[in-house]
Amino acid sequence: MAVDLATKSLLHDKLRFVITVVGVAFAVTLVFVQVGLFLGLMDNASLTIEQIDADLWVTSHNTPNVDFAHAFPETYVKRVRSIPGIARADNLIVWFMNVNLPNGAVEGTEVYALEDFAAWHFPQGVIEGDLADLRRGPYMMLDDSAKKRWGAFGVNDYREVLGRRLKIIGRTVDAKSFTTTPLTFMDLRLAQSLNESDLRGNTTYILVKLAPGADAEKARAEIQRRLPYNDVFTKAEWAKRSRSYWIDSTGLGLNMYITVFLGCLVGIVVVAQTLYTSTMEHIREFGTVKAIGGGNADIYRILGKQATIAAVAGFGLGALQAFALRPVMSKIDLKLIIPTPLYVAVFAGAIALCLAAAMISFRKVASIDPALVFRT
Amino acid sequence: MSILHTRNVQKHFTEGRETVTVLRGIDFSVERGEIVSLEGPSGSGKTTFLSILGCILTPTKGDVVIEGQQVAEKNLATIRRRSLGFVFQQFNLFPSLTALENVEYALNVKGMRGSPARVEAQRVIDAVGLGDRQNFLPRDLSGGQKQRVAIARALAGNAPILLADEPTANLDSAVGSQVLDMFRTLAKQENRALVIVTHDPKVRTIADRVAKIQDGALV
Repeated sequence: MAVDLATKSLLHDKLRFVITVVGVAFAVTLVFVQVGLFLGLMDNASLTIEQIDADLWVTSHNTPNVDFAHAFPETYVKRVRSIPGIARADNLIVWFMNVNLPNGAVEGTEVYALEDFAAWHFPQGVIEGDLADLRRGPYMMLDDSAKKRWGAFGVNDYREVLGRRLKIIGRTVDAKSFTTTPLTFMDLRLAQSLNESDLRGNTTYILVKLAPGADAEKARAEIQRRLPYNDVFTKAEWAKRSRSYWIDSTGLGLNMYITVFLGCLVGIVVVAQTLYTSTMEHIREFGTVKAIGGGNADIYRILGKQATIAAVAGFGLGALQAFALRPVMSKIDLKLIIPTPLYVAVFAGAIALCLAAAMISFRKVASIDPALVFRT
Repeated sequence: MSILHTRNVQKHFTEGRETVTVLRGIDFSVERGEIVSLEGPSGSGKTTFLSILGCILTPTKGDVVIEGQQVAEKNLATIRRRSLGFVFQQFNLFPSLTALENVEYALNVKGMRGSPARVEAQRVIDAVGLGDRQNFLPRDLSGGQKQRVAIARALAGNAPILLADEPTANLDSAVGSQVLDMFRTLAKQENRALVIVTHDPKVRTIADRVAKIQDGALV
């Protein structure tokens, strides 16, 4: 064991150490929150695609994302069902409709309409009611996220959708869209009857489930051949397309990158500034290290270790803050998704950032004249 | 045979377009166990000469040989680690390390680590009479005690040559005398060569020889 000058010197000036750690923690928290919120929003953008148990999606040509659907004839589904290797194909309608609330307000809802929800294992978060009952009449199920905009509701309540009274027969949770419009689930025929001008005889998507062992590319090519004016996507492609639309069209991705960049910049400036000031204040000590036989490498090790300690402590504090923010965000319906690879990346980034900041001091150290130890 | 000797050491510094000659060809030597007081007025070049003896600066011209090895740019740090111990006017202790750790760290830099370093540090701290203050930080030590820690640091690792720059300048007269006596005793006991750059006439009382430097030359 050697005397740990780096740690002792770093902790000797506690205020400076705290400032350095807080600077790193600020950057770490900012990155976690920004990226976490971004991932949360992106998760919402493709949440229903991920939940619906379909291998392929048939959309109208150039549909940009799952929310902004366009209608096409529902009979196209028959052309898909007759293709070998396809186990099941059903129409899905995704459509925005207006809802009249008891207080007289009009709110929007994004309707998901299928003939058999259970066949597609969707929606997944049913907490009250039976999806099979949706086919039995003018019924709907609502996601609990609607309460924020629609006010309280319960099973057996009625709401007026496009002028028609529908009974709420169930509730779901965690069914969300990027648009934040509450999701409603109802039977396909009911949805068509609510908006006959757009939806009568029409659908907006065809969901496709392949038979076990079927060649997806072959099936997809055949669908495309039979429906030349539609697009066919795999589940992954469609989810990515939906997410990319929001990233590209809203500048959300750019915003996240800029904020992350600024967060890192602030962090690096704080760390570089404190380390550099510290180096300048300890210049005589570093000169002494050189005078007693040490080299630049010994001092680089000291600075590198101090930067690493600041990075680890700052990461710990920053991650803790981000973790503590999750329930707060959740209360305002914001999802903060922080996957393990993000933790690893931010940890590595914090260390790289602090070491980069220390490099600025390295230049100063390289020019230290050990003769300064003789000066008064 | 001398443990340290210089031949025709010259040092020039360039300041803008001007070249300033600080040392004008110094021949100097020190024997093992010898104590030399190097005196001279301010600006005479004695600290520059000490820096060259200490392998901190290289001469513009001339030779420095330490323990039979010619000093060159590439082996400065190695010779400092192996052969030299320094005592500075400003003590230059690490404020975040205790007295014992200050000494032990110097040994770490010289390549000695772990238990041997701790034992050696303890030995020299005891030798300078600071065994009961070994866990004190420099801020909790008096000026004399700090200088004793600095001497312990210079002694640690058995460097055969000790170089001291105005070691009594920041001490009062009585403490300065005590420190010098102790320094002499320890250097003699361990047969170390000791070069002290000073203005302090008390140093003469412990020196075997006085060398005077004036206008960059020995007189």
